[in-house]
Amino acid sequence: MRRMVIARKIRVNELLKKELGSIFKDLVVTESEAGRVTLIAKQEQVLAVLRFLKDRGFDHLALLSAVDWIQEKEFELVYILTRYVQDGDDLSGDGGLHIIVKTRIPRENPKFETTIGIFPNAEPYEREIHELFGIDFDGHPRLTPLFLERKYAVPPFRKDFDTREYVREVFDKIPFVGDTDK
Amino acid sequence: MDRNQITKWFKDPAKMANKYSLHAIYFCTGCGIIEVPPVITSRWDAERFGVIPVATPRQANLFLITGYVSVKTLRAIIRTYEQMYEPKFTVGFGSCPVNGGMYWDSYNTIKHLDKYIPIDGWIAGCMPRPEAIFVAVTHLWTLIDKGMANGYIRYRENYEAYRRNQEMALGKLEWPPLYAPDGNREEDTRE
Amino acid sequence: MQIVEIILSPLLALVVGVFFLGLARKVMARIHWRYGPPLIQPVIDMIRLFYQKSVSHGRMFDVGIILSLAGSIVVILFLPFGWICPLRNSGGLLVILYVMLIAPLGIALSGGQGANPNISIGISRKLILSLGYEVPFVLVLLAVMTHYKTISIVEVVSAQQSARWSVLSLALFLPGLSYFLVLPAMLGIRPFDMASAAQEISSGPMVEYGGKYLALAMIEHAFVLFINIALFVNLFLGGAVNPATFFLKMLAVFLLGLFVHAAFPRFRVEQAVKYLWKWPTLLAFVGLIIALVTRS
Repeated sequence: MRRMVIARKIRVNELLKKELGSIFKDLVVTESEAGRVTLIAKQEQVLAVLRFLKDRGFDHLALLSAVDWIQEKEFELVYILTRYVQDGDDLSGDGGLHIIVKTRIPRENPKFETTIGIFPNAEPYEREIHELFGIDFDGHPRLTPLFLERKYAVPPFRKDFDTREYVREVFDKIPFVGDTDK
Repeated sequence: MDRNQITKWFKDPAKMANKYSLHAIYFCTGCGIIEVPPVITSRWDAERFGVIPVATPRQANLFLITGYVSVKTLRAIIRTYEQMYEPKFTVGFGSCPVNGGMYWDSYNTIKHLDKYIPIDGWIAGCMPRPEAIFVAVTHLWTLIDKGMANGYIRYRENYEAYRRNQEMALGKLEWPPLYAPDGNREEDTRE
Repeated sequence: MQIVEIILSPLLALVVGVFFLGLARKVMARIHWRYGPPLIQPVIDMIRLFYQKSVSHGRMFDVGIILSLAGSIVVILFLPFGWICPLRNSGGLLVILYVMLIAPLGIALSGGQGANPNISIGISRKLILSLGYEVPFVLVLLAVMTHYKTISIVEVVSAQQSARWSVLSLALFLPGLSYFLVLPAMLGIRPFDMASAAQEISSGPMVEYGGKYLALAMIEHAFVLFINIALFVNLFLGGAVNPATFFLKMLAVFLLGLFVHAAFPRFRVEQAVKYLWKWPTLLAFVGLIIALVTRS
């Protein structure tokens, strides 16, 4: 049974690689394991790739997150797409298919376009990334703070944000009250 | 437990009643709240100690702060604590209220809860076992016996210092001061 | 002598009611396979609550709970507890029917100044629920009054003492069954405890009560328990001349109610009203017709 599932997923991966390679040039397609395909796309291609994948059947944006490559001076946006379990078409493979779309954007004044037009549920993810990494998304209706209450000079999830220094400055400076040894 | 020693009841009924009727406000702070439902249900029965959860701070006199306190949670904790009626007791449960715990270098949690509201006792652990809540309750009884569980009196006396700390951590506070700044500390300024 | 009875009757009701509160927690704990608090735990809670410094929300907030307590005490004066019945010749069932409504209205009055939306939700649920149980309740009382041709509870009790329990007679079997079916709604126990649901609306009308107000609300709850069970025992289970026998009958009914409370989840208020207006109302109505027909 498990061998059948893996065989089905490998067949699916080959199918996708062929289709994607034929439509998009310069797209690096790798597969890390059966059922998980990673695409590394250029900044301009991302929205087109996402729209193609959504029309192909991967209509669920599971996660959108960001990685801070500080030494390469780039941010990487990671889109994880999957599909709800369906039977009967050529991509049905037990629902365990993930497509990961990655793209790099420069770390200076980072901005990108919003994917709300394709996946409306990207709105809180983009808001969170804006709050914690400082990446600006054009076209997002409300980039207001989601979790945090304070203003930070450097957005907290970046690797050049010194957490120990921040704690020492902000929280350790608050004095204890009276005699707390009681 | 000296609940059935009648002479003590007649000598100091307030102290005995505060000991054996600790109603805990069911405020689920952080990850430690997962240790509380087994304690208050059939597995480790807390009702034999007189401890039951209540839904509103007006009816409660025990506040268990069971996990990490982010800045937003601190706002809610202070408002809840100020709505409870005196005498009230707080217990910091887990190592995060003590000194920041696992989040000691986090950008969004407060490290020492004792700077913002008064704490009567601490339980260390990450998470402590549910039996540790009973240890806390029995230690709180000992403290109440000796008259040392007076966090609320400390809050009233040092209210300016606490409020200054709260403003340093939270920015502007939307609620007015609980006690009048000078003079009359017996009455709350708001209901 | 009557002044002694007037003072004694609410005191006895308080003792019995508070004992029922403690017994409820203990029996529920044992049903849940755990030990429970001691039987005097409600007394400990009340002592602690009276020693807490509570803050009032205004004059109406204070008056409301006092009004509610006063309404309950007045109802107790009309209920016989064995041979103790202070106001035996004054109105009986008709007075009880409308004075029983003062208790939730008093809490609604204090809730008006509480300024908490949970109070309004709880009070609206309580009043809708009372709309639900008043319909079969009135039909049941009409059946009893028709069968015994009197409005005095003391006469109903003595008629049962000489003949047999009402619930075993032909005319009043169905009303008795109907009253037993609405008794959980009148007591406010599961499945009908949506008025003071702790988990949904933060204890409903009691959300702003603390300190001495909560202690008075607990006393009010004890009185409500006593009133409803005593009325049922007096009208359908024969009452008693001896207060001890009366107490034992009340205990039996209360334990049955506790078993219902332990086993059921909570209804929504529209489900409760739909239930209360269906079978209990139907049974009470048929019983009323039988009582009219068999009236000699």
